[in-house]
Amino acid sequence: MDLKQELSSLKNEAENLIKKVSDLNSLNQIRVEYLGKKGKLKNILKTLGKLSPEERKEIGQIANKIKDEIENLIKEKETILKEKALEETLVKEKIDITLPPHWIEVGSSHPVISTLIEITETFLEMGFYVAEGPEIEDEKYNFDMLNIPKDHPARDMQDTFFLNNGKVLRTHTSPVQIRTMLKQKPPIAIVAPGRVYRKDADPTHSPMFHQIEGLMVDKHLTFRDLKGILKIFLETVFGRNIPIRFRPSYFPFTEPSAEVDIGCTVCGGKGCRVCKGTGWLEILGCGMVDPNVFKAVDIDPEIYTGFAFGLGIERIAMLKYRITDIRLLFTNNMKFNHQFKGIR
Amino acid sequence: MIAPYSWIKEFLDIDIPAEKVAEKLNETGIETVVHKFGEYIPNIETVKIIDVKKHPEKDKLYICTVSDGESEYQVITGADNIKKGYVVILAKVGAVIKGREIKPVKFGSYESQGMLLSLEELGLEENSEGIFLLGTDVPVGKDANDILSLGKDYLFEIEITPNRGDALSIRGLSREIGAIFGIERKEPLPLISIFEEENIGIEILTDKVWRYRGVVVKGIEVKESPFDIKLKLIKSGQKPINNIVDITNYILLQEGQPLHAFDLDKIKGKVIIRHSNDGEKITTLDGEEVELKPTDIVISDEEKAIAIAGVIGGENTKIDENTKNILLEAAVFDNVSVRKTAKRLAISTESSYRFERGVDIENLANAQDKALELIIKVAGGKIVGEKDIYIKPYQPKIITLKEKTIDRILGIPILKEEARDILNRLEIKTEISDDGVVSTIPAFRAFDLEREVDLVEEVGRIKGFDNLTPEFPEISLQSFKRSEEFSFEVRARDFFKDNGLTEVVNYTFVGEGIYDLLDLPVPEIKIENYLLKTQSVMRDNLAVSLIGTLQENVKFQQKDLSIFEISSVFFKDFEEIRVGILVSGKYIQGYNYKKGDLLFSTTEEWNFLKLKGIVESYFKSVGLYNTDYISSKLKYLHPYQSADIFINGIKVGYIGKIHPKKAEILEIPKNTFIAELKLRYVPRNIDEDNLKEGYLFTLFKEKDNITFSELPKYPAVKRDLAFIIDENLEVDKLISAVKESNELIEDVKLFDVYFMEDGKKSVAMSVVFRHKERSLSDKEINEVVEGLVEKLKERFTELTLRM
Repeated sequence: MDLKQELSSLKNEAENLIKKVSDLNSLNQIRVEYLGKKGKLKNILKTLGKLSPEERKEIGQIANKIKDEIENLIKEKETILKEKALEETLVKEKIDITLPPHWIEVGSSHPVISTLIEITETFLEMGFYVAEGPEIEDEKYNFDMLNIPKDHPARDMQDTFFLNNGKVLRTHTSPVQIRTMLKQKPPIAIVAPGRVYRKDADPTHSPMFHQIEGLMVDKHLTFRDLKGILKIFLETVFGRNIPIRFRPSYFPFTEPSAEVDIGCTVCGGKGCRVCKGTGWLEILGCGMVDPNVFKAVDIDPEIYTGFAFGLGIERIAMLKYRITDIRLLFTNNMKFNHQFKGIR
Repeated sequence: MIAPYSWIKEFLDIDIPAEKVAEKLNETGIETVVHKFGEYIPNIETVKIIDVKKHPEKDKLYICTVSDGESEYQVITGADNIKKGYVVILAKVGAVIKGREIKPVKFGSYESQGMLLSLEELGLEENSEGIFLLGTDVPVGKDANDILSLGKDYLFEIEITPNRGDALSIRGLSREIGAIFGIERKEPLPLISIFEEENIGIEILTDKVWRYRGVVVKGIEVKESPFDIKLKLIKSGQKPINNIVDITNYILLQEGQPLHAFDLDKIKGKVIIRHSNDGEKITTLDGEEVELKPTDIVISDEEKAIAIAGVIGGENTKIDENTKNILLEAAVFDNVSVRKTAKRLAISTESSYRFERGVDIENLANAQDKALELIIKVAGGKIVGEKDIYIKPYQPKIITLKEKTIDRILGIPILKEEARDILNRLEIKTEISDDGVVSTIPAFRAFDLEREVDLVEEVGRIKGFDNLTPEFPEISLQSFKRSEEFSFEVRARDFFKDNGLTEVVNYTFVGEGIYDLLDLPVPEIKIENYLLKTQSVMRDNLAVSLIGTLQENVKFQQKDLSIFEISSVFFKDFEEIRVGILVSGKYIQGYNYKKGDLLFSTTEEWNFLKLKGIVESYFKSVGLYNTDYISSKLKYLHPYQSADIFINGIKVGYIGKIHPKKAEILEIPKNTFIAELKLRYVPRNIDEDNLKEGYLFTLFKEKDNITFSELPKYPAVKRDLAFIIDENLEVDKLISAVKESNELIEDVKLFDVYFMEDGKKSVAMSVVFRHKERSLSDKEINEVVEGLVEKLKERFTELTLRM
């Protein structure tokens, strides 16, 4: 058999083997068997010496060509087999991507604190800052300096808890007004969020609840400015076109005083159980700082005017989340608390 | 109070729908809800009871024969207040009462051809006892809807603010409504004749009565009131009693002047108004015996107290069916005195309610005369004597309301002429001056209108606050301040929430029981008038509340809890804002998942180190690093799994496992962990600063700024070292000692601790060495390690290096 034929059948042989091979090891063996130092191609080429230089050149070229061809076939096959092996490993690593995750789940917010922070931040954005005071207060700050004299029926508006140290649990956040004005002269623009206490417990009253108080004192402030601030606040919290109504009312520490209603957010003003058929919800109390309060903190009511407002946080949280019994807010049953995951 | 519109219309020519009136009252400051008085009911008729006999077969039932003037009906009833001769309301066959149609019904062998109605069945009262007896002066055979004005009259249910005692009457409300709509109020004058035949002995021994007018009427007949008086009282939510008592109530409602009628023959000698004797007792009209104090004012005769001034009358001089002669009292008592007495005795009456809020002292005689006019008309008799002691005659205050002030407070210019018109409508007399409106404050507003600003409010509210357009104020720039305390708290809250803890809000007062269970001294601050014993003590830590929360949830089979609370605790002179954390059981209710080489085990249970991890991570989140943990002495914590937490050597809180014995007593899971951190100091004294040592906020405010360090230029070398030390030596001490031993040591990371049998433990760590200016050679590091071991051996004598 001449060399050309031998080379050509060698190539066919190798090609067939490569086609059949199904793993990288066997493929390697083929490479060694045909292209290795002691491989079949080398063996054939050893006989080249017997040939004439012309023949040698011709056969040599053919042999190199066959070598390249086999090498390419092996490389192609190798790529295919590697892909296949990787795919097998990946399949082994397949996991059920719908499995429950393995990480700490974020905790739940308390609806009251959430509402309190949200409202406070609304006022901070308007340029107010937060002031605070203790929850155990002197009657002087909680009542007297706020123009609520002893034995005045106005004290009945707020049923007070009395303590064995002669002090009271503050019945509103208003004493923070006094504390602020005693320490700081106008201009003043504060809000005071915090816990307050009244001796009252039923589905709509809790002996402890939260309020936020606002106070602004400067020259030239009028009732219209009060309306402006509260309009922006209420529209931020309840939506752009919420109807707002100012009703004259009475608080000992403001004059004139008003109560502010918004259109019922449940029925849209048509009248329902939540608004007791009136179409309005009472949201906050406010007014122009009473001259007697200014006198108590040594601010001249002839030079300065100011306004104050206060609102109950629970009421707003209950409206927002349609909670019907205030006591639910403080029992901390996780079945309740966990309903408020993801709020502010 | 409840004011029938029909009664107001007696004093105002007004034809405005009741809803509109209510809306306007609300808008001008008197909270008003309007109801219809009853609803139309078909087939109800007035009938007279002409015969009553017991049902021969059925106990407790009566057979009545009633007549409408034309026909007679047989009606069976169970009510035992029925009386022959009285007019009652019969629901005839076909009437619908409370959704039920009336049909002929047999009780035994007797048929009932209808039903006699109570006020409850008419929808006019919550709970009635017995049939509604209209009286004997009512026509029969009439449609009862017309007689009662069912569905035709309106009731204003009003609630006043404490400054508006003047509106607590038909008179006052008419004045208010008149002012709103610009309608003048009518004032019919009473016509009475007083025969000065007898001298009345009245002696006043206190300054707590401002005016006292006593009138004696003799020869009256006590009986039921005429139907129109009864109906007005019923509409106003009151129960008719007898003509004399009804008239005093009637005038109180109409005029706002409390009146009291004594049975004159039960009074011994003269009437004395005086302070009570200490321990003096009186049985009130309610039949309750109360004990009085010298601060209380009583009306007495020469032997005994006969009434508590301004609050309630005494049983001993009560009007009864045999009363013939009366003393009618009209007085104004000191409002503070009445309030103190009423509050202490916990008796609130229509009288005390009005006295506390101020009664029109100038209208006293007019109101009383109206009562006398009615008494003579209804009960007969003759006025035989009168004595009016007016100790503190009303001195009206004169206030000038300036245009400038209105503008300064309300923010709109209102001309003095307009202001004057508004004040005049409110029955305030005025004169225009250069300055403004000179106003003479009438007695009925004496308690309320004291200053110029009070008149600004009157003008503002009658004009309507809704007529003031909102404006955004110019806030002076210097008022801007940062709210760091608030932000610090919000940040802590967000941190713990984001790290898997749920926010709770507990009452800040607790019971003493939990303190006993935890072996803690009960805090000193207590609520004297607490609602519940379990809410009587101001807590001085958050643990008592958080443990309560856990107990509450355990009751609902919820034992795995991860919660926190940011709130106040209370001490003698200050308060603290703390964050309390309580965790128990699992925080991931996980599962196992195994597939070939893949293995997930996702269940996670709380332990000491995990809670410590959250706490430490929180400190780092606010830039606080230098922490120390020193065994805690808190008795409710596990003695060997608890620590007080220090930052820069200052105690800021504690952490630990609940003592297993306490967990058992408290019926909470054994693996419960708790931590409390002191966030902020809240002083009670106004002059004290809130930046006090021992609080995280203070540390946060005072910490150094973080400054950048150059990145390393030369490579680090890592060596793993294992030491064998006494098992009681704390790992942290060893690590710190290693870190401090040489400045080339950049970092130390613990990777293995195991306890051996001979009271020792092996502690292995990776130590990272680095020089700032050059690479380190092996030889150098070996020397450093040798030196390090020597130093450690000096400090911890039993230490050896494991090779």
